[in-house]
Amino acid sequence: MRDIVKEIESKFSNHDDLFIEEELVGKTTIYFIGFNTLVDLTKSKLYVQQMAASSSSVKALFINLSDQVGVDIEQILKAILEGKLVIVSKGDAENAIVDPIAQNLNRSIEEPKNESPIQASINAFGDDITINVGLIRKRLSTERLCHCSYQVGELDKRRLSMLYIKGRAPNILIEKANQQLKQIKSDIETIDDLNKQFGQRILSPVSHLSPTELPIQAIHSLKKNRIVLFMDNYPFALVFPNLIWDMFSTENDRNFPFVLTFMLRLFRVIGAVATVVLPALYVALVSVNPGIFRTDLALFVAKSREGIPLSAFLETILMVVIVDLILEAINRLPKSVGPSITMVGGIILGQAMVEAKLVSNLLVIVITAVVIASSAVVGIQNSLYIRLLKYPILVLASFFGILGVWTGFILTVIYLASLTSDDIPYLTFNIKQEGDTK
Amino acid sequence: MRNNKLFKLLIVFMSTILLCGCWDIKDINKRSIPLVMGISKEDDEEYKLTLQIPIPKNDDQISRIVTGRGETVASVLGQIRTNSEDAVDFSQIRLIVIQKNLAKNPQELRDLIKFLMGSEDIPSRALVALTDDDVENVLSNINDKLGVHASSIYDYFNKGAGWVPEIFSITIWEVYRSLYSYTKDIAVPVVRSGKDTVLKFKGAAILKKGKIIETISPDECQLVNVFRNNNEKGRIESLGFASIIVTNSSIKNKTSMKNNKPTVSSNLRLKIYILERKEGITNKRIRKELEKLTEKRFYRLLKRTQGSQTDIFGFGQQFHQQISYHELKDWRNDYYPKLKVNFQVHANME
Repeated sequence: MRDIVKEIESKFSNHDDLFIEEELVGKTTIYFIGFNTLVDLTKSKLYVQQMAASSSSVKALFINLSDQVGVDIEQILKAILEGKLVIVSKGDAENAIVDPIAQNLNRSIEEPKNESPIQASINAFGDDITINVGLIRKRLSTERLCHCSYQVGELDKRRLSMLYIKGRAPNILIEKANQQLKQIKSDIETIDDLNKQFGQRILSPVSHLSPTELPIQAIHSLKKNRIVLFMDNYPFALVFPNLIWDMFSTENDRNFPFVLTFMLRLFRVIGAVATVVLPALYVALVSVNPGIFRTDLALFVAKSREGIPLSAFLETILMVVIVDLILEAINRLPKSVGPSITMVGGIILGQAMVEAKLVSNLLVIVITAVVIASSAVVGIQNSLYIRLLKYPILVLASFFGILGVWTGFILTVIYLASLTSDDIPYLTFNIKQEGDTK
Repeated sequence: MRNNKLFKLLIVFMSTILLCGCWDIKDINKRSIPLVMGISKEDDEEYKLTLQIPIPKNDDQISRIVTGRGETVASVLGQIRTNSEDAVDFSQIRLIVIQKNLAKNPQELRDLIKFLMGSEDIPSRALVALTDDDVENVLSNINDKLGVHASSIYDYFNKGAGWVPEIFSITIWEVYRSLYSYTKDIAVPVVRSGKDTVLKFKGAAILKKGKIIETISPDECQLVNVFRNNNEKGRIESLGFASIIVTNSSIKNKTSMKNNKPTVSSNLRLKIYILERKEGITNKRIRKELEKLTEKRFYRLLKRTQGSQTDIFGFGQQFHQQISYHELKDWRNDYYPKLKVNFQVHANME
């Protein structure tokens, strides 16, 4: 059946990495077809030859190699694209799709790059979806761990996996998520693409999904009645739904005694509140309601701001923007240049601006505290959105003072409380165990 | 079209950012922050207002004195506002010194207190003090003394229990409340400008409905303070042959009404520590002497105040349950002069 080979050749005429190799097994000629960028041909050939030595006929060899024997041309084309090795016998209808020895395109299991667990297992998820699910299976060996996989997308079929524990995660949640994942039509490239499938949140900084790099954290979320999603070639587990408590707690905290865990989490809450409120409070106290200060403090603040031409609000927004710029710039730069930006930023902002009397030294202290505080929360995405939340409150504070700060804070809380993902509010602390055990 | 609207909204939002705080909001360094306000009356006609405003520019805080004259306090405040270089922010006023010549006229003093209480700019938690001196002298005295901060005058009244138990601090709202209280009069501290220190404590003036009844000495002030439930800790008492320091104190009052005659039995417990004594003086004698001295001092003050019908200790407060509200009106005139107080002091060695 020479025409299959011909057809494949013409179909992939623009693909220079396609190989069609002839090989003699017994008395029959067979063709190996695949992409040499995906298939390790030499090793795969060796493997087939070894198998051939122990097989009586070509037909037996094909059956030994694969359970997908004698498939149609459509499936063969798809299999080639997926990195499978296709074996076709010459002039015969025999063909088989074989799992080859693949080119190694994945890194091995490595340490987490975005999270730094202390006193904990440091295996992190990798790019391969099967390895990622395997990491979960290895640590959670129960038959109640369910795994649904999907292939979605228009141009590129991307593999998605949904994991949940039967009897733990609410059935309604599983059904809804299942529906939403099945309905995906467009390509899923980023988390935000996936995020949109769970209901559009226009202009919302809060995602439906909370990414984590650590298997332990993902398993903990599963046990806490939530769903974990995996995307192929994406080294994070996506916990659904994202809840506010994710910002303040990681499972690794619990490796310490309870009191220390409590302390760590308390600091994170303080950090989050301080990030949102502190710059606004500075503006409110310095420019709108100085009457609240104690006398000594009022005089001290007045002295520290003496001769500064900018108004408190402009000064604060200037510093806050510059600091956010620095944080972003450090991210963008190669690791070898990053520290120099930190140094230059620190010296220029901290020292020169104060000495030039462009901003007050009290503000520099406030801003430093805010930057440190905003980094205390778990997860960079949470840290980013907290940094965003401080701006509206800052503007309100410059109009209405203390009243504005608290109105802004309360409005922020109201906004967060209004967020839901699949009818589970963002401010939920615990999802009830509602699933059927059977 | 929708996009266009969004764009307009964005422009409005951006402009608010640029305009933030551009109209009536003043940064703290663009405000003058007076800490002490002196009020006096000149020639029985014009009010004279003196403000002590610290200058934060220098490292050693000095302050300037700003005065203004006018027919009413409000008009002077407005005048000072107009003439000042910066916006004057009265929200940090912590002490109001009133010259005694103004306090001579009860009606005027009452009106002044009402004005200060009602004014939104001046915080009602500001302390009040009276002075015999010229108010301007008292306030400007601060610049002549070395190593004194701009906020010293305020600090003077805030040393707190344990350090100076006899100093009074009375806020405007407390004075205002006493104007309307049936059962409690108030003592306002009296100060003078001192020679070496900024202020000198001269005791307290008893105010009854805005009228100064009499002045009591610092020793008596301390007794009044005890009845206001302030700790007597830190008080040093000299008995002639020994001197002691009070390390702790507590007071318990019991009230009863018999035949329309109010009776209070008070127990003051003192913990004392002997600082020095002459030879051969026993602990017991010191204790007895101290108890006797304190009791004597109390009964003398009680008799005086009963004569002038001013309930400086606030005993009437404790009879609110026994006497009906209508009769409480007559507490000062009918009940207080008849009040029997059984005051007992128990001193203990530490």
